[in-house]
This record gives sequence, structure tokens and C-alpha cells, in this order.
Amino acid sequence: MDTISRRKFLQLSGAATVGASAAMLSISDIAQAAIARPLPLGTPIVVVVTLYGGNDGLNTVVPYTDPLYYSMRPEISYKPEKVLQLSDGLGLNPAMSEMKSLWDQKKLAIIRGVGYPFPDHSHFSSMAIWQTASPISHISTGWLGRWLDSQSVDPMLAISLGSVPPPLFAGAKRSGSALPLGGLVIPSGKLAMRCQTLSKSSSSDSPLMASAATSMGNLFDLSSNVTSVLKSPAPIAADLPVTNGGNAGGESSLQQQLDIVAKLIVAGAPTRAWSVSLGGFDTHANEANAQSALLGSVSSSVARFISQLKGSGRASDVTVMIYSEFGRRVKANASQGTDHGTSGPVFVIGDRINGGMYGDQPSLSKLVDGDLAVTTDFRDIYASILERDLKADPAQILNGWKGRVNLLYK
Amino acid sequence: MEAQRLEISRLYARFAFGPRPGQFSQALAAGFSTSAKNLLNTSLSDPSLDALPLPSVPDLGQRPSPGDTAATKAFNLSVRTQTEEITLWWLDRMAIAQNPLLERMTWFWHGHWATSIDKVNFALPMFNQNQTLRANALGNFRTMAHAMFHDGALQIWLDGNDSVKNSPNENLSREFMELFAMGVNNYTEDDVKAVARAFTGYQVGRTSGDVKFNLKRHDSDPIKLFGSNTPLDGDSATDLIVSRDENARFITERLWFRFISSSNSVDIKFGVQTAFANRDIASAVKALVSNGALSVPQYGVVRQPVEWFIAICRAFAIQPSKLSPRNFALGHLLKMSQVPFLPPNVGGWPTDEAWLSSASAQFRISFASALSKQIDFSALAAVPADKRIDYIKDLLGIYNFSARTFTALTNAKDDLPQFFTLAVCSPEFVVNE
Repeated sequence: MDTISRRKFLQLSGAATVGASAAMLSISDIAQAAIARPLPLGTPIVVVVTLYGGNDGLNTVVPYTDPLYYSMRPEISYKPEKVLQLSDGLGLNPAMSEMKSLWDQKKLAIIRGVGYPFPDHSHFSSMAIWQTASPISHISTGWLGRWLDSQSVDPMLAISLGSVPPPLFAGAKRSGSALPLGGLVIPSGKLAMRCQTLSKSSSSDSPLMASAATSMGNLFDLSSNVTSVLKSPAPIAADLPVTNGGNAGGESSLQQQLDIVAKLIVAGAPTRAWSVSLGGFDTHANEANAQSALLGSVSSSVARFISQLKGSGRASDVTVMIYSEFGRRVKANASQGTDHGTSGPVFVIGDRINGGMYGDQPSLSKLVDGDLAVTTDFRDIYASILERDLKADPAQILNGWKGRVNLLYK
Repeated sequence: MEAQRLEISRLYARFAFGPRPGQFSQALAAGFSTSAKNLLNTSLSDPSLDALPLPSVPDLGQRPSPGDTAATKAFNLSVRTQTEEITLWWLDRMAIAQNPLLERMTWFWHGHWATSIDKVNFALPMFNQNQTLRANALGNFRTMAHAMFHDGALQIWLDGNDSVKNSPNENLSREFMELFAMGVNNYTEDDVKAVARAFTGYQVGRTSGDVKFNLKRHDSDPIKLFGSNTPLDGDSATDLIVSRDENARFITERLWFRFISSSNSVDIKFGVQTAFANRDIASAVKALVSNGALSVPQYGVVRQPVEWFIAICRAFAIQPSKLSPRNFALGHLLKMSQVPFLPPNVGGWPTDEAWLSSASAQFRISFASALSKQIDFSALAAVPADKRIDYIKDLLGIYNFSARTFTALTNAKDDLPQFFTLAVCSPEFVVNE
């Protein structure tokens, strides 16, 4: 990406309402209809968990039988007896006990060595590539945004938690909505009426002003739909570990986000795609404690989320995908941390998933400029999700992409 | 006349956080070029700014041992208090400065060299960085780049402290080129590794942010970078980076992106990059202001939360630290996801549409409603009801209200707190056209 396109990416990072102007007039009607037609049971739902900062894959899924792993990072490696052993000489980070339990239940698929051609070491470029699913040419839409483009207009169809919607939900014609954390305090009475007047479209609006108006209008449309299922106060933010890797994006409380998503799914929100995130994975220094605290949070939050779906009849509808923009350099640096790397494992979780290992584990003896090789293209995973969960034609959304992760789904 | 109103509205919103009472109508009378000249003149003394006491930020020393809970608690409180004090002090400066261009530029550079107290963990290094940015905000970029390389907060933030000859840490090197001085894809992965070697050996006192060079930890071997092959240190590597043409192009683009338009690329006819050829920031800013870019209709920008809040403060003579409780503004800014010294990542805050989610709209309305309970509306009350819309339009320096906003304001013209809330949440104020 050149600088201009990176700017486009930054600009894109908030594109929740861009392009939605054509649909603006009917958003309210459709949101109202969403209450009247809860998502039919059995409709697949995708939850995308983005780990910002570049999660160290080698200390997430640990090659604990490989002597090279211990010689290349003597101070930040996990001993065989500490890791949660899985198969193929691999084990989970000791903090991920709940994930180990999902593995034992055969609900966790670990796809190894995931990346894309010519890996980029910039947080921003690499995250743009993952979210737009376009490694070579820069494009301004996200992969799920393009799926939204293929759907009928519905502001409830894709929702991200937190105040800044991710680029992966930005389509050319329509985009996902954002839901704030920390409870909804929607104006009421005269102020609400007048704010709704303020949010009407005007022929003199520039695109930005139209977005400002629409976002305010969506607040009222969305709120009238979701407040009924969010009657109880928003969950208190779980204490997050203090980390020293927090300089590359992401929301802070994953559990809080997933609690809200679980509630809305159970309530029947007509939402097919959710986006949540956690930051802090940019562990250039003192990695071990910071990363294991974060992975512990991922593990417990996701397991808790899945348990909350039980009894709703929707537990088997949901697929969770967890990824980060890159893994980290194999050799540790002098600060007990690691610099930016390339490929890493992606987790896919669900009742309809065939648990197990997929893709080849990148060899520690065949590094590319000190980095892990890419053995699986992330578009294989996206294509499988698009095809199996969203019933879309992956080729149309992923520029003709044909690959899949074979046998990932039951 | 309409064109002039647009240009003056943009001049104040983008380079001055917004006009003070009466300033917008005076500027309309004086004309754009006189107003621009006044704004670019930062040499006048500012007694009210001079009178603002500096925050008290003594070096707190090492963190107590984790076992000592009482001491740890007291220590954490001190860090928190210092952080609030430096943040309020800066917000106060933005709000009360007679000519806030220097503060506006300091704010721009804070987003550029985005460093977060979330990892630095001590207020003193953050405060020192803020003063460094202010001292160089309208100076020479080369001088600024050197000063920032030696900035303790930045070194802590990007792990420079731990980078040694046998194992260089690439964090500072990569972001220095990608985000601070050259722009992504204008360097190679080998360049990142080379600069990381040049940047080895600098050590930071965590509590003070003092940076010292330790030759024993430094890689003194020749380093291949941009065609040269000689021993390099932080300063000589910085010089090589800033001398690249990519530096002039990149900084021009960053200025343009924030002040003119994030969705339209730099138009060379406005001569910003030419003005920046010697890395003189004031010349580049003068070109941004004076060469016509502000008159191009499609170059709208969204006010970031801090800019939105400070514009309100300036229009209503509010000093942020005097609001009640003292940290009132900080809590609301946190909900809006923008607190000074706490950028979300090393790339700084996002722009434009990112601030237009329904979540932002909700927090903006609630911030404005809460603020409306603390504002003295006597001046607004003295304006006849049928003139209030025109009055607040000039007070806030808004180009124009659309019909829907006019209707909403008309319905609320006798309820001044609500009238205010609607005006500052209107698309025409949130977006500076």
C-alpha cells in the first residue's frame, strides 16, 4: 500500500455509514421489521474476533517438541510440562485452559501458518490486508462489507462492538453498524424528538454531513430495537491485565463485548456477522506475562460466550473466528519480546466445526528472513466461512478465490 | 461573501479550534487574508496563557514494590493525579489561548508522534514530550525529529530502552520510518533493520524520561542505509531519514490529511510541499492556510472530539479545568474515545467517519447535555428569540445551517440548554464543511 492508500485505510476505519445514504430513508422501517422477524433458528452467525497488535503465534500454539523453539527464544519459551498439550507436538499457551477444553470437545479448529503472499510487517498495512482480504492491490472495502453489499439493506445485519467500526465491515454500498459499550443512554422526550429532526437528511448535506446525520438517526433506530433486549445494565468491564504491549489498536474488554453479543444473539437479533476486538498484542518487550494475560482473557471470554448460548437453541448456529494481523519474529529480542513477524495460527470454533489441526506447521528450520513461512492463505478460511455460514459465493467476494480449508465444517 | 464565510469558518475551526465570541463576525468584516495573517502571527504575547500555572509534575521515583499495598495505592493515585493535571492544563491552554495556533499544532504533532501514557505510565515524561512538541510545533521538522528521537516517553513507548547491539528492537525504527518520518512502503525491511541498529544503546530513566547514550550497548559497526555505509547513531540516522524526499512528501500529506481533507489527496498547486522543502513547519502551515486550499468546497473535515469540545469552550468562554467536577471533561472525552496523552495506538487517532458512528453520536449528545447544565447562557438569553439561530451560527463559526437543523433549533429556541445541545450536535457543527 502506498501512503495515500494507507490514508484511505485510516479513513475507512470509521466508514460505518459511508455509502449508506441511498438506504437511509428506509433504515427505520427495516430496523422496526427486524424486531418482528427475529433471525430464524438455525441461521448461521459469524463472530469475528480481531486481536490487534500482532499476536505471537508461536507462544499461542507452542511447538514444544522442537528444540529450535527453545534455542531461538530461550527466555520467553514455554516448557513442555507447562503447555496444554494438543497433538502433533503442539500445545496451547498455559493461560488458555478453556480453549483446551473446547479442543477436547472437538469444537476448536487450529489453522496453522496462516498469512498471505509477501507479508507486510506494518500493523496498519497488514491489518488492512486482512480486513480487506486483498493482499496485492489496495481496495477500500472489507471482506464482510462486500458480503453486506450482496445482501438487502438491514442496519442490524452486521454489528461491531465499540465506537469505531472496523474496516472489515465497510462495503461499497452499505456498511455494518456500531454499538457502543457501556450501556445505551438514549435521549428521550423533546430532546430525542429534536435530535431526530437533526438527523433528517438534507439536500445540502455533503457526504460527511450526511454521515453525521445518519449516524444520529441510526442511534434512535438501533436503540429502539436493542434496548428491549438490553434492559439489564451493561456488564461491568472485566478487569483486564495491565499490559505493556498496548500500542496497536483494539477495544479493551473482550468479555464485555462478547457478553453483549451473546445476549443479542439469544434474543434473536437479525444479525449474521459480529465483530469484537482486543488490543495489546504488540509485545516488543516483556512478552510472556502480557501475552498470557491477554490470551487468558481471550480463552475465558470466548468459552463464557459459547456457554451463554447454550439453551437458546442457537449454540450450534455460531462460528467464532479469532485472528491477528501477523505473528511475531521467531527469534526473541533483548527485551524479552519479539518484533513483527509473518504467519500465525487462526482459531475457528463452533459446534459445526470439525475440531483439530489444519494446514502445515511452519518449520523453524526453514525461516524466510527470520520469519515463519506462510502455509495457509487466510482467504481459504474466509471462503469457507462465506460459503458455509453466510451462504455466499466466495469467488464473488474474494476476487475469484477458489481455495478452502478442507473438511473444516461438519 | 458566501465563499469568504466558508473560508473563514474553516480557518478558525481547523487552525484555531474555533472562534471566540465576536471573533467570527469581526473576521467576516476584516476579510479572510487579514484574519489569516493575524492567525499565523504567533509572536504576540498572551497574558492569560502566561498566567496559567504549570502543572506540578515532580519525578515520582520508582514504583513501590508490589507487596507494599499502601504505598502502591498512594503511588497510583499520584500518577493519576499528575496525569489529570497535565491533561487539564493542556486543554485549558487550548481553550484560553488568544491565538491557539501553537496549541493546535502541538495537538497535531501529538497525534503524529502518538505516544500513550497507557504504556509510559509516568506523567513527567509525557509532560516533557508535550513541551518538546510545543517548542518545535511551528519550527523545523529536522530539529523536531532529533528532539523526538531523544524523547524519553517515545523511547519507552516504542521499546528503544531495551534495544542493544546484539539484539536490536525494531519497534522504534519501524514506526519512526513508517509513521513519523517517511510513510509506509518508502523504505525496505532491510532499512528497518539498519535503522534499528543505529538506534541501539539509548537508555531511558523511566520515571523522568531522561535519555542517555550508552556506547557499550550501541552497534558501532558500519551500517548500510540509503546508499551510505558508515557507523550511525540515532542522530545521524535521523538526519539521513529526514533528508529523504519522501520525508517532505510524507509530512505534507499528513498535514493535508488532518487540516484539509482525508479523502482527497494533496493538490500540488497549493504549494505545501514546496513550502516545506527546508522542513520549515510554519511555512507549510502558511501554505495550507493561505494558498486557497480552504476554499475548495469538497474539502470537509469532521471535528475530532477534543476539537469539538474545545471549540465549544472557546465560544462559551469555558476553562475545562473549572468545570465541575474538575475531571468532568476527561470522563466525557474518554467516552468519546479521545483523551490527550491516550491515543489508541501509535498511528494516532482516526479521522472523519470514524467519529460519526451511532456510538459517537450518543456520547456527543450526552456530553453536550451535561455541559449545557454548566454553561452561562445569559448572553444567548439577551439575544431576541428570533435572532438566536444567527447568533449561535456566528458564535460557533458555522458556515451554514440546513433546513432540518434550522427547524430543530427553531423548536428549541426558548429552551437554551437544549438549543445549545442541538446546535453543537448538528451535522453542520460536527462536520466543518
